[in-house]
Amino acid sequence: MANVLDLRRRIRSVKNTRQITKAMKMVSAAKLRRAQERALAARPYERMIVSVLESLRRRVDLYDEKTGNLSHPLFLTRPEKRVLLVVISGDKGFAGAFNANILKVTYQFIQGNPGKEIDIEAVGRKGRDQLRRRFPVAAYTEQTDEQGLKRAQRAARQGNVELTGDHPGLLLHLDPRRVQDLAHSMISRYVHEEIDAAYVVYNEFKSVISQRLVVEKVLPLIQVGQQQVAGAVEPSAEEKERVAEAALSAGIELEPADTTEGEEEAKKFGTASVDYIYEQPPSELFAGLLPQYVFSVLFHAMTESVAAEHAARMTAMDSATNNASEMIDNLTLHMNRVRQAAITKEIIEIVSGAAAL
Amino acid sequence: MAEAKSDQLRVRLVTPERILFEADASAVELPSKSGYMEVLYGHAPLMAELGAGDVTIYGENADGVSRYNVNWGFVEVLPNRVTILASDALKPEEIDLKRAEQQLDRGLHQWKEAGESEEAYDEALRVISEAEAKIASAGEVVKTH
Repeated sequence: MANVLDLRRRIRSVKNTRQITKAMKMVSAAKLRRAQERALAARPYERMIVSVLESLRRRVDLYDEKTGNLSHPLFLTRPEKRVLLVVISGDKGFAGAFNANILKVTYQFIQGNPGKEIDIEAVGRKGRDQLRRRFPVAAYTEQTDEQGLKRAQRAARQGNVELTGDHPGLLLHLDPRRVQDLAHSMISRYVHEEIDAAYVVYNEFKSVISQRLVVEKVLPLIQVGQQQVAGAVEPSAEEKERVAEAALSAGIELEPADTTEGEEEAKKFGTASVDYIYEQPPSELFAGLLPQYVFSVLFHAMTESVAAEHAARMTAMDSATNNASEMIDNLTLHMNRVRQAAITKEIIEIVSGAAAL
Repeated sequence: MAEAKSDQLRVRLVTPERILFEADASAVELPSKSGYMEVLYGHAPLMAELGAGDVTIYGENADGVSRYNVNWGFVEVLPNRVTILASDALKPEEIDLKRAEQQLDRGLHQWKEAGESEEAYDEALRVISEAEAKIASAGEVVKTH
């Protein structure tokens, strides 16, 4: 049986752990609040891009009347043979099953699409590390063409699934310009028929109690403004309850007021029932807007994923703190029992010693 | 919102990260893809793509001028409202001249390397115009275009 001193030591150590998890929870809560604000502030822009595209699509034919050409190559659908998958995970651990869940959905997607060639772009350090262990990294060889230009040529595939790029540190500051670069690379690959479709896997975060894991189709654009969800995993009621509990104890509102004036106005952007003068021909407007739309889908996914990561970490740390408290209680009880047993034993010894005299 | 004055435009500048600017103004100057234009109260409904350049917003009094450098954007003009969507907007004092000059060099380099590819030319042109607009708006307070 452990002695009192050992137990006391263990209690102290668990208490220290509880301090750490508590601090981490509070830090995550503060970060979550900021991430939520950021996600909210980013919404008007996305809304506007969507509404202006919607209204353009209503007024402008997708096909050119004279030539029968599509007004933009991103509307073109091809049979899906090569797929690009953007996996948005977290940069750090200690967030419960957050990263594991993202990867689970990713593997499910890969298994659900056998025979297709899948390229993965990993955003977030945790996901990248895992995926890199599992799949080969695409090899590029630099070649010089006849004009003396250096061009990266992709070497033969080593498997059906390959990692084509990673973006470490992107989620840390969420620089729109870097997201823009990713969007442009996706579009250029699509236009050059290197890929036939693009999906994003991420954790959607509408509010603390409304989040889910989604696989969203980004390219080709079929229905602008509507999420093309190819698969979603809803959290269980139990998980939702846990998150809500953690949020309440950290003083975070469950459903932030999400209809600001700016957002209301954003919905109306470009949709007034008047005849607009279009400064440029519609096909040019499409050419400018569609990349921006792809960017906004990605940016949106990333802001939400960051918020979801902090929420997951907050919940995990809240659970850890609760578990530590429970453990301390149990250990304290146990320690008291052991101490009492020792005292009783000593008294019995004294009493029986006295009786023997 | 208090009753807006009847001859004022409600101007909103929205970037991916947040709503950067929101106020009443008497006039707005916009760098449309096909050239600069100025919008006053009562303008006919219009939609235009913005290229690289300066958005200038004239407030009610003379000193209420704000200038932002944008490199791609989209604008909706309604008689009493102007909404600008910009992928990036910088105040002139926020522009890093050195980096803009590097960008210009890079653009010129791309231009030389572009060869036969139309796409590479377009990209190079875009980089050059972006850099030039940045340098121009950082350089002087009074506009010269």
